[in-house]
Amino acid sequence: MAYTYSKIATYTVGSGGIPSVSFLNIPQTYTDLLVKVSARTDRATGSASDFSFIFNNSTTGYTDRYVYGNGSGTGSGSNAYTNQGFAGNITQATMTASTFGSVDIYIPNYASANYKSISTDATTENNATLTYNMPVATLWSNTSPITSITLQSASGGNLVQYSTFHLYGIKAEL
Amino acid sequence: MGAISLKYKSKSGNLTAPGDVDPGAMIPIATISVGAGGASSIDFTSIPSVYQHLQIRAIARSNRASASDSMKMTFNSDTTNNYAFHYLYGDGSTAVGDGTANYSSIALLEAAGNNATSGIFGASIVDILDYSNTSKYKTTRNLGGDDRNGSGLVSLTSGLWQNTNAITTISIIPFTGTSFLQYSHFALYGIKRAGA
Repeated sequence: MAYTYSKIATYTVGSGGIPSVSFLNIPQTYTDLLVKVSARTDRATGSASDFSFIFNNSTTGYTDRYVYGNGSGTGSGSNAYTNQGFAGNITQATMTASTFGSVDIYIPNYASANYKSISTDATTENNATLTYNMPVATLWSNTSPITSITLQSASGGNLVQYSTFHLYGIKAEL
Repeated sequence: MGAISLKYKSKSGNLTAPGDVDPGAMIPIATISVGAGGASSIDFTSIPSVYQHLQIRAIARSNRASASDSMKMTFNSDTTNNYAFHYLYGDGSTAVGDGTANYSSIALLEAAGNNATSGIFGASIVDILDYSNTSKYKTTRNLGGDDRNGSGLVSLTSGLWQNTNAITTISIIPFTGTSFLQYSHFALYGIKRAGA
Protein backbone atom coordinates (compact mmCIF):
# COMPACT_ATOMS: atom_id res chain seq x y z
CA MET A 1 0.00 0.00 0.00
CA ALA A 2 1.30 3.46 -0.92
CA TYR A 3 1.59 5.85 2.03
CA THR A 4 0.35 9.44 1.82
CA TYR A 5 -0.09 11.60 4.84
CA SER A 6 -0.67 9.61 8.03
CA LYS A 7 -3.11 11.12 10.50
CA ILE A 8 -1.47 11.54 13.91
CA ALA A 9 -3.66 13.93 15.93
CA THR A 10 -6.32 16.61 15.67
CA TYR A 11 -7.39 19.29 18.15
CA THR A 12 -10.46 21.53 17.86
CA VAL A 13 -10.79 24.51 20.18
CA GLY A 14 -14.04 24.58 22.14
CA SER A 15 -16.08 27.45 23.48
CA GLY A 16 -14.19 29.88 25.64
CA GLY A 17 -10.98 29.63 23.63
CA ILE A 18 -7.57 28.51 24.72
CA PRO A 19 -4.10 30.14 24.82
CA SER A 20 -2.21 27.31 23.12
CA VAL A 21 -2.41 23.79 21.74
CA SER A 22 0.23 21.10 22.23
CA PHE A 23 0.93 17.84 20.47
CA LEU A 24 2.84 15.64 22.93
CA ASN A 25 4.68 12.32 22.65
CA ILE A 26 5.01 12.62 18.87
CA PRO A 27 5.99 9.22 17.47
CA GLN A 28 9.46 9.10 15.98
CA THR A 29 8.56 6.70 13.18
CA TYR A 30 7.93 9.19 10.36
CA THR A 31 10.35 11.14 8.21
CA ASP A 32 8.59 14.51 8.14
CA LEU A 33 5.76 16.22 9.97
CA LEU A 34 3.09 18.52 8.57
CA VAL A 35 0.92 20.72 10.74
CA LYS A 36 -2.25 22.17 9.16
CA VAL A 37 -3.89 25.01 11.06
CA SER A 38 -7.16 26.88 10.60
CA ALA A 39 -7.10 29.42 13.42
CA ARG A 40 -8.25 32.79 14.71
CA THR A 41 -7.49 34.72 17.89
CA ASP A 42 -9.58 37.07 20.02
CA ARG A 43 -6.86 39.73 19.98
CA ALA A 44 -8.44 43.14 19.36
CA THR A 45 -5.37 45.32 18.85
CA GLY A 46 -2.88 45.53 16.02
CA SER A 47 -3.38 44.24 12.49
CA ALA A 48 -3.00 40.44 12.69
CA SER A 49 -1.78 37.88 15.20
CA ASP A 50 1.70 36.42 14.93
CA PHE A 51 1.53 32.63 15.01
CA SER A 52 4.32 30.56 16.49
CA PHE A 53 5.49 27.13 17.54
CA ILE A 54 7.70 25.83 20.32
CA PHE A 55 9.45 22.47 20.09
CA ASN A 56 10.07 20.30 23.15
CA ASN A 57 9.26 23.25 25.48
CA SER A 58 12.49 24.89 24.32
CA THR A 59 12.52 28.70 24.25
CA THR A 60 15.95 29.13 22.63
CA GLY A 61 17.57 28.61 19.26
CA TYR A 62 14.94 29.96 16.85
CA THR A 63 15.73 32.22 13.88
CA ASP A 64 13.57 33.09 10.89
CA ARG A 65 13.30 34.91 7.58
CA TYR A 66 10.07 35.95 5.92
CA VAL A 67 8.53 37.89 3.06
CA TYR A 68 4.97 39.17 3.08
CA GLY A 69 2.22 40.88 1.18
CA ASN A 70 -0.26 42.87 3.26
CA GLY A 71 -2.92 43.60 0.69
CA SER A 72 -1.40 46.88 -0.43
CA GLY A 73 2.36 46.35 -0.36
CA THR A 74 5.17 43.99 0.51
CA GLY A 75 7.95 43.61 3.04
CA SER A 76 10.56 41.24 4.35
CA GLY A 77 12.29 40.67 7.64
CA SER A 78 14.11 38.31 9.94
CA ASN A 79 14.17 37.05 13.49
CA ALA A 80 10.66 38.07 14.40
CA TYR A 81 11.24 35.91 17.49
CA THR A 82 14.16 33.98 18.96
CA ASN A 83 12.35 32.28 21.85
CA GLN A 84 9.80 30.61 19.58
CA GLY A 85 9.49 29.70 15.93
CA PHE A 86 7.69 32.30 13.82
CA ALA A 87 4.96 30.82 11.61
CA GLY A 88 3.43 33.86 9.92
CA ASN A 89 0.13 35.49 10.80
CA ILE A 90 -3.37 34.27 11.58
CA THR A 91 -6.68 36.12 11.56
CA GLN A 92 -7.81 37.95 14.69
CA ALA A 93 -10.83 39.80 16.10
CA THR A 94 -10.13 42.97 14.11
CA MET A 95 -10.74 41.11 10.86
CA THR A 96 -13.90 39.85 9.17
CA ALA A 97 -16.01 37.73 11.51
CA SER A 98 -16.06 33.93 11.14
CA THR A 99 -12.82 34.13 9.18
CA PHE A 100 -9.82 31.99 10.07
CA GLY A 101 -6.21 32.04 8.95
CA SER A 102 -4.77 29.10 7.03
CA VAL A 103 -1.28 27.75 7.80
CA ASP A 104 0.85 24.80 6.71
CA ILE A 105 4.00 24.13 8.74
CA TYR A 106 6.31 21.57 7.14
CA ILE A 107 8.98 20.01 9.35
CA PRO A 108 11.24 17.68 7.38
CA ASN A 109 13.50 15.20 9.17
CA TYR A 110 12.04 16.16 12.54
CA ALA A 111 13.53 13.12 14.29
CA SER A 112 17.07 13.61 13.03
CA ALA A 113 20.11 14.66 15.06
CA ASN A 114 20.55 17.74 12.86
CA TYR A 115 19.28 21.27 13.26
CA LYS A 116 15.65 21.58 12.15
CA SER A 117 14.67 23.66 9.11
CA ILE A 118 10.97 24.51 8.90
CA SER A 119 8.96 25.86 5.97
CA THR A 120 5.67 27.68 6.60
CA ASP A 121 3.01 29.08 4.27
CA ALA A 122 0.61 31.33 6.17
CA THR A 123 -2.32 33.46 5.13
CA THR A 124 -4.91 35.46 6.95
CA GLU A 125 -8.02 36.71 5.13
CA ASN A 126 -10.28 39.70 5.48
CA ASN A 127 -13.00 41.30 3.41
CA ALA A 128 -10.95 44.50 3.31
CA THR A 129 -7.57 45.64 2.10
CA LEU A 130 -5.47 44.37 4.99
CA THR A 131 -4.45 40.74 5.06
CA TYR A 132 -1.15 38.88 5.18
CA ASN A 133 0.29 36.31 2.78
CA MET A 134 3.58 35.15 4.23
CA PRO A 135 6.04 32.36 3.50
CA VAL A 136 8.47 31.86 6.40
CA ALA A 137 11.71 29.91 6.75
CA THR A 138 12.62 29.04 10.33
CA LEU A 139 15.63 27.34 11.84
CA TRP A 140 15.66 25.65 15.23
CA SER A 141 19.33 25.28 16.10
CA ASN A 142 18.84 22.19 18.17
CA THR A 143 19.81 18.61 17.38
CA SER A 144 17.15 16.96 19.54
CA PRO A 145 14.38 15.01 17.82
CA ILE A 146 11.08 16.85 18.03
CA THR A 147 8.78 15.11 20.48
CA SER A 148 6.30 17.90 21.18
CA ILE A 149 4.96 20.97 19.38
CA THR A 150 3.13 23.84 21.09
CA LEU A 151 1.21 26.25 18.86
CA GLN A 152 0.08 29.69 19.98
CA SER A 153 -0.41 33.33 19.17
CA ALA A 154 2.91 35.04 19.86
CA SER A 155 1.00 38.35 19.90
CA GLY A 156 -1.13 37.26 22.83
CA GLY A 157 -4.81 36.49 23.02
CA ASN A 158 -6.61 33.18 22.92
CA LEU A 159 -7.19 30.83 20.03
CA VAL A 160 -10.96 30.95 19.53
CA GLN A 161 -13.63 28.29 19.18
CA TYR A 162 -13.58 26.30 15.90
CA SER A 163 -9.84 26.81 15.43
CA THR A 164 -8.41 23.47 14.35
CA PHE A 165 -4.94 21.96 14.46
CA HIS A 166 -3.94 18.79 12.61
CA LEU A 167 -0.69 16.86 12.81
CA TYR A 168 0.30 14.50 10.01
CA GLY A 169 3.30 12.23 9.54
CA ILE A 170 4.91 11.56 6.19
CA LYS A 171 7.16 8.60 5.53
CA ALA A 172 9.91 8.76 2.93
CA GLU A 173 9.74 5.10 2.06
CA LEU A 174 7.79 1.95 2.80
CA MET B 1 -3.78 24.68 27.29
CA GLY B 2 -5.10 21.93 25.03
CA ALA B 3 -2.79 18.94 24.94
CA ILE B 4 -2.91 15.78 22.93
CA SER B 5 -0.85 12.85 24.22
CA LEU B 6 -0.36 10.74 21.18
CA LYS B 7 -0.90 7.04 20.99
CA TYR B 8 -1.47 4.87 18.03
CA LYS B 9 -4.94 3.69 17.13
CA SER B 10 -5.93 0.71 15.10
CA LYS B 11 -8.56 1.00 12.43
CA SER B 12 -11.08 -0.27 14.96
CA GLY B 13 -10.29 2.70 17.19
CA ASN B 14 -8.62 0.72 19.97
CA LEU B 15 -5.30 1.72 21.40
CA THR B 16 -2.59 -0.61 20.21
CA ALA B 17 1.15 -0.98 20.19
CA PRO B 18 3.21 1.45 18.10
CA GLY B 19 3.28 0.55 14.43
CA ASP B 20 -0.42 -0.17 14.01
CA VAL B 21 -1.19 3.19 12.41
CA ASP B 22 -3.90 3.76 9.84
CA PRO B 23 -2.00 5.23 6.86
CA GLY B 24 -3.34 7.39 4.08
CA ALA B 25 -4.90 10.69 5.10
CA MET B 26 -4.80 12.18 1.60
CA ILE B 27 -7.44 10.57 -0.60
CA PRO B 28 -8.04 11.22 -4.32
CA ILE B 29 -11.60 12.42 -4.98
CA ALA B 30 -11.66 13.39 -8.67
CA THR B 31 -9.38 14.27 -11.57
CA ILE B 32 -10.15 16.38 -14.64
CA SER B 33 -7.79 16.34 -17.61
CA VAL B 34 -8.57 18.75 -20.42
CA GLY B 35 -8.83 17.18 -23.85
CA ALA B 36 -8.18 18.47 -27.34
CA GLY B 37 -11.33 20.58 -27.43
CA GLY B 38 -10.41 22.59 -24.34
CA ALA B 39 -12.64 23.25 -21.35
CA SER B 40 -14.40 26.48 -20.48
CA SER B 41 -14.79 25.45 -16.85
CA ILE B 42 -13.44 22.87 -14.44
CA ASP B 43 -16.18 21.68 -12.12
CA PHE B 44 -15.88 19.40 -9.13
CA THR B 45 -19.40 18.51 -8.02
CA SER B 46 -21.02 16.46 -5.28
CA ILE B 47 -17.95 16.81 -3.06
CA PRO B 48 -18.43 14.54 -0.04
CA SER B 49 -18.32 16.12 3.38
CA VAL B 50 -16.44 13.25 4.99
CA TYR B 51 -13.00 14.84 4.88
CA GLN B 52 -11.50 17.60 7.01
CA HIS B 53 -9.74 19.54 4.24
CA LEU B 54 -9.62 19.72 0.47
CA GLN B 55 -6.57 20.21 -1.73
CA ILE B 56 -6.48 20.94 -5.45
CA ARG B 57 -3.32 20.28 -7.43
CA ALA B 58 -3.34 21.72 -10.91
CA ILE B 59 -1.33 22.59 -13.97
CA ALA B 60 -3.10 25.05 -16.24
CA ARG B 61 -2.78 26.88 -19.53
CA SER B 62 -5.54 29.05 -21.03
CA ASN B 63 -6.31 30.41 -24.47
CA ARG B 64 -5.63 33.98 -23.40
CA ALA B 65 -3.52 35.72 -26.08
CA SER B 66 -0.79 36.49 -23.61
CA ALA B 67 2.08 34.68 -21.88
CA SER B 68 0.08 34.35 -18.68
CA ASP B 69 -3.36 34.23 -17.21
CA SER B 70 -4.89 33.70 -13.78
CA MET B 71 -7.91 31.69 -12.70
CA LYS B 72 -11.18 32.35 -10.91
CA MET B 73 -12.60 29.94 -8.35
CA THR B 74 -16.13 29.90 -6.96
CA PHE B 75 -18.02 27.59 -4.60
CA ASN B 76 -21.53 26.12 -4.67
CA SER B 77 -22.44 28.10 -7.81
CA ASP B 78 -22.18 31.37 -5.86
CA THR B 79 -21.00 34.12 -8.23
CA THR B 80 -22.17 37.06 -6.13
CA ASN B 81 -19.78 39.47 -4.42
CA ASN B 82 -19.23 37.23 -1.42
CA TYR B 83 -15.51 36.74 -2.01
CA ALA B 84 -12.25 38.48 -1.27
CA PHE B 85 -8.72 37.59 -2.33
CA HIS B 86 -5.22 38.84 -1.67
CA TYR B 87 -1.85 37.95 -3.12
CA LEU B 88 1.89 38.24 -2.79
CA TYR B 89 3.82 37.63 -5.97
CA GLY B 90 7.29 38.08 -7.36
CA ASP B 91 8.14 38.19 -11.03
CA GLY B 92 11.89 37.95 -10.80
CA SER B 93 12.51 41.64 -10.25
CA THR B 94 9.53 43.06 -8.36
CA ALA B 95 7.40 41.93 -5.44
CA VAL B 96 3.74 42.93 -5.30
CA GLY B 97 1.14 42.68 -2.56
CA ASP B 98 -2.46 43.52 -3.40
CA GLY B 99 -6.00 42.24 -3.20
CA THR B 100 -9.69 42.83 -3.74
CA ALA B 101 -12.66 42.70 -1.39
CA ASN B 102 -16.34 42.17 -2.22
CA TYR B 103 -15.61 40.33 -5.43
CA SER B 104 -17.44 37.67 -7.41
CA SER B 105 -14.70 35.00 -7.18
CA ILE B 106 -11.35 34.08 -5.69
CA ALA B 107 -8.36 34.67 -7.96
CA LEU B 108 -5.79 31.91 -8.25
CA LEU B 109 -2.34 32.68 -9.62
CA GLU B 110 -0.93 31.41 -12.01
CA ALA B 111 -1.84 29.84 -15.32
CA ALA B 112 0.20 30.07 -18.50
CA GLY B 113 -1.41 31.84 -21.44
CA ASN B 114 -1.53 30.80 -25.07
CA ASN B 115 1.46 32.94 -26.04
CA ALA B 116 3.78 31.13 -23.63
CA THR B 117 6.18 28.63 -25.19
CA SER B 118 4.43 25.42 -26.01
CA GLY B 119 4.47 22.95 -23.14
CA ILE B 120 4.59 25.54 -20.38
CA PHE B 121 1.84 25.38 -17.76
CA GLY B 122 1.29 27.20 -14.50
CA ALA B 123 1.29 25.06 -11.36
CA SER B 124 -0.91 25.50 -8.30
CA ILE B 125 -1.63 23.85 -4.98
CA VAL B 126 -4.80 25.14 -3.33
CA ASP B 127 -5.62 24.26 0.27
CA ILE B 128 -9.14 24.66 1.66
CA LEU B 129 -9.09 23.80 5.35
CA ASP B 130 -12.30 22.90 7.21
CA TYR B 131 -14.28 23.13 3.97
CA SER B 132 -17.43 21.58 5.48
CA ASN B 133 -17.41 23.43 8.81
CA THR B 134 -20.72 25.29 9.07
CA SER B 135 -19.43 27.68 11.75
CA LYS B 136 -16.67 29.17 9.60
CA TYR B 137 -16.32 31.19 6.45
CA LYS B 138 -14.01 29.42 4.02
CA THR B 139 -10.40 30.52 3.62
CA THR B 140 -8.25 29.29 0.74
CA ARG B 141 -4.48 29.31 0.40
CA ASN B 142 -2.78 28.90 -2.98
CA LEU B 143 0.92 28.47 -3.71
CA GLY B 144 1.50 28.75 -7.42
CA GLY B 145 3.52 30.06 -10.28
CA ASP B 146 5.06 29.47 -13.65
CA ASP B 147 8.51 30.00 -15.04
CA ARG B 148 8.74 30.76 -18.73
CA ASN B 149 12.53 30.68 -19.15
CA GLY B 150 13.10 34.40 -18.97
CA SER B 151 9.87 35.53 -17.34
CA GLY B 152 7.33 34.16 -14.92
CA LEU B 153 5.78 34.58 -11.54
CA VAL B 154 5.60 32.88 -8.14
CA SER B 155 2.80 33.67 -5.73
CA LEU B 156 1.13 32.97 -2.39
CA THR B 157 -2.55 33.85 -2.66
CA SER B 158 -5.40 33.75 -0.16
CA GLY B 159 -9.13 33.77 -0.70
CA LEU B 160 -12.27 34.18 1.41
CA TRP B 161 -15.78 32.94 0.73
CA GLN B 162 -18.15 34.64 3.17
CA ASN B 163 -20.47 31.71 3.56
CA THR B 164 -20.70 29.09 6.31
CA ASN B 165 -22.21 26.41 4.05
CA ALA B 166 -20.18 23.31 3.43
CA ILE B 167 -18.45 23.41 0.06
CA THR B 168 -20.09 20.89 -2.27
CA THR B 169 -18.99 22.20 -5.67
CA ILE B 170 -15.88 24.00 -6.90
CA SER B 171 -15.73 25.75 -10.27
CA ILE B 172 -12.55 27.11 -11.83
CA ILE B 173 -12.39 29.18 -15.02
CA PRO B 174 -9.65 31.24 -16.66
CA PHE B 175 -9.57 34.79 -15.38
CA THR B 176 -9.24 36.39 -18.82
CA GLY B 177 -9.19 33.57 -21.37
CA THR B 178 -12.31 31.63 -22.30
CA SER B 179 -11.04 28.08 -21.96
CA PHE B 180 -8.33 25.90 -20.52
CA LEU B 181 -6.17 24.18 -23.12
CA GLN B 182 -5.42 20.51 -23.64
CA TYR B 183 -3.24 18.82 -21.01
CA SER B 184 -4.36 21.20 -18.29
CA HIS B 185 -4.99 18.94 -15.31
CA PHE B 186 -6.86 19.42 -12.05
CA ALA B 187 -6.90 16.89 -9.21
CA LEU B 188 -9.05 17.17 -6.08
CA TYR B 189 -7.98 15.43 -2.86
CA GLY B 190 -9.65 15.02 0.49
CA ILE B 191 -7.50 15.10 3.62
CA LYS B 192 -8.77 13.30 6.66
CA ARG B 193 -8.45 14.28 10.28
CA ALA B 194 -7.08 11.99 12.98
CA GLY B 195 -9.73 9.56 14.12
CA ALA B 196 -11.54 9.60 10.80
